[in-house]
Amino acid sequence: MPTPAEPSQPQPRPLSLATRVMLFVAAAVLLCAGLLATMLQNSIEAHFAEQDAGELQAVAHSVLHTLQDPALQPQQHHASLHQVLTGHHQTYYLVLDATEKPTLSADGADLTPLFRLTRPVSQITPADLISWDQGAHTYRGAILQGPRGLQIAVAMEMEFHLHYLHLLRWTLWLTIAAAVALILLAAWLGVRQGLLPLRQLSSDIRQISTEKLHLRLEPGQVPVELAELVQSFNQMIENLQQGFSRLSEFSADIAHELRTPLSNLITQTQVSLSKDRSLEEYRELLYSNLEEQERLAKMVSDMLWLAKTDHGLIKLQPEAVALEPLCRQLFEFFEFIADERNIRLQYQGPAVSLRADKVMLQRALSNLLSNAIRHADADSTVWIRVNTLAGHLEICIRNCGPVIAPEHLPRLFERFYRADPSRQRHSEGAGLGLAMVQSIVTLHGGEISAVSVPDAAQSPGHGNTDFILRWPLDKRPLNQLS
Amino acid sequence: MRLLIVEDEVKTGDYLKQGFTEAGFNPTLCRNGLDGHHLAMTEEFELIILDVMLPDVDGLRIVKALRQANRHTPVLLLSALDTVDDRVRGLELGADDYLVKPFAFNELLARARTLLRRGQLAPQADRLQAADLVLEISKHKASRGGKKLNLTPKEFALLELLLRREGEVLPRSLIASQVWDMNFDSDTNVIDVAVRRLRSKVDDDQALKLIHTVRGMGYKLEVPDADAS
Repeated sequence: MPTPAEPSQPQPRPLSLATRVMLFVAAAVLLCAGLLATMLQNSIEAHFAEQDAGELQAVAHSVLHTLQDPALQPQQHHASLHQVLTGHHQTYYLVLDATEKPTLSADGADLTPLFRLTRPVSQITPADLISWDQGAHTYRGAILQGPRGLQIAVAMEMEFHLHYLHLLRWTLWLTIAAAVALILLAAWLGVRQGLLPLRQLSSDIRQISTEKLHLRLEPGQVPVELAELVQSFNQMIENLQQGFSRLSEFSADIAHELRTPLSNLITQTQVSLSKDRSLEEYRELLYSNLEEQERLAKMVSDMLWLAKTDHGLIKLQPEAVALEPLCRQLFEFFEFIADERNIRLQYQGPAVSLRADKVMLQRALSNLLSNAIRHADADSTVWIRVNTLAGHLEICIRNCGPVIAPEHLPRLFERFYRADPSRQRHSEGAGLGLAMVQSIVTLHGGEISAVSVPDAAQSPGHGNTDFILRWPLDKRPLNQLS
Repeated sequence: MRLLIVEDEVKTGDYLKQGFTEAGFNPTLCRNGLDGHHLAMTEEFELIILDVMLPDVDGLRIVKALRQANRHTPVLLLSALDTVDDRVRGLELGADDYLVKPFAFNELLARARTLLRRGQLAPQADRLQAADLVLEISKHKASRGGKKLNLTPKEFALLELLLRREGEVLPRSLIASQVWDMNFDSDTNVIDVAVRRLRSKVDDDQALKLIHTVRGMGYKLEVPDADAS
């Protein structure tokens, strides 16, 4: 699998996914197992202490019983206790009388240090147990307060406990280490396995090329975690495909739009050159060619302009443009052609200004106004209405004329789109005017739409057509001028 | 009028030379930047037309060299590039105007004449006259053969422009820019309609027609020679 190109800035590459997962798993497993092991040890130790306390209590009571048994002579006490204690292995006792003199003790261990370490208690509980080292041995014991000032110290050797606990600790940590190793291995395998669908995805994605933009990834065939990624990816391809097909349609349109006038030029010139003609005829040919060539040049420069806006190569020089003076200036420009068909030009709206590139805005409004006048009925009014409503600034250009069918409305702003195909090659414009308007409005952060509704008061098929430019007020700071 | 044209594209260069010669100029054509640079620095011209993209020494460098040497010959740049930056750079370096290819020759001619006129600093005449057409600018009065013409302000401005540049062919884009301050190519036929209206007021019912359409190029105001027409 090829690695993606390293980013140019020396930013360290983030940790691999497997390493991240394994670090987390290892930390969690260690923490859990450590807690468990500690708990287990503590619990076993507590259990031993309880057992020992019970046993020592029993031994102390046996000693007390023996001492108080009227049937036994003091000489017999030792032998009798020896018998009693055979059941309790390695348990020792030492009895002090009221004057703290040892009266009786078991063989094998000297418990006198115990008297320095603890106080007598009436009942031996695990908390009373004291352990100490003596010679090579470790003992644990307590002192029971008997009647008549008797103190009975009892203790037992605890090597076998310690030995067991030592063994347990080793076993536990070894087990934990083995478990961690196993779990890490499993996690690593899991991550590898988990990333397999990504590899599959990546090889699927490599199938998609500009010729195969119709291919889509199947969100149902990837693990649920990747479904969203697949959907986003599909969305991206969808957008690309749309952009691509628009682009290729556009290229086809360009070819078509350029081919027609070019073939006119060529045919006309060839026909004219096919035999000798008068000077007047040659002049006529050159004029006709000139007109066609100028149209071509205009189309090329318009397309270039559009291509530049598409690529963000046009830099805006925004300033606060007062709308009313701008529109009045445009009205002055268009008054002659409006007058010809007795069309009135009217402005309505508050005195507001819009932050925009003045020449661009002028160009956009000029295209719309020229369109509106061209398609308006004679003796009607073309309006420019400016509104600020619901957080938006709206510039609405309205004419009364033939209604535009709803299916044409959304496509009006496409390049070379003509609602009326018979108007192909109309002397005015190449079908780029509205596309340019849209580019300008979009460049300024606004949007454009068109609405056309029949009006019963007008002749059939005629009504009001509005081109509406909208800017959100929060994005475009507006100054109320008066 | 001596004119220097620096243009490496063969066909463009030839047609520019022919066009300017026929328009009454005396153009020198230079096909590379090095010669252009040398000529611009050593000889006197009234106007220099420079292609920006030359293979050896580019046009911007020639402008820079000229201005650094304190030579103030007006310079008009021709370029296939059209971004605000290019334009601004060219003008900042000291060029006087900037025209983007493809351009119409009459547009270039009109701009060249504007640049040449700028140097003359002639006081703007208040009274303009062509044949029996008289314009009194400050009084805002126009008359033909002593008869007052009723003109709207824009018609008056249009007539003034045509009269001030009598005999020159004015392209539509120049008229739109000068009269209406519309500085972009508009698809409309506003200029044609406006000239038609003006003509109906100025030339209708007159034997001597003053406003002429130059097909494919624009309009001009001219008193026809007695022997022509």
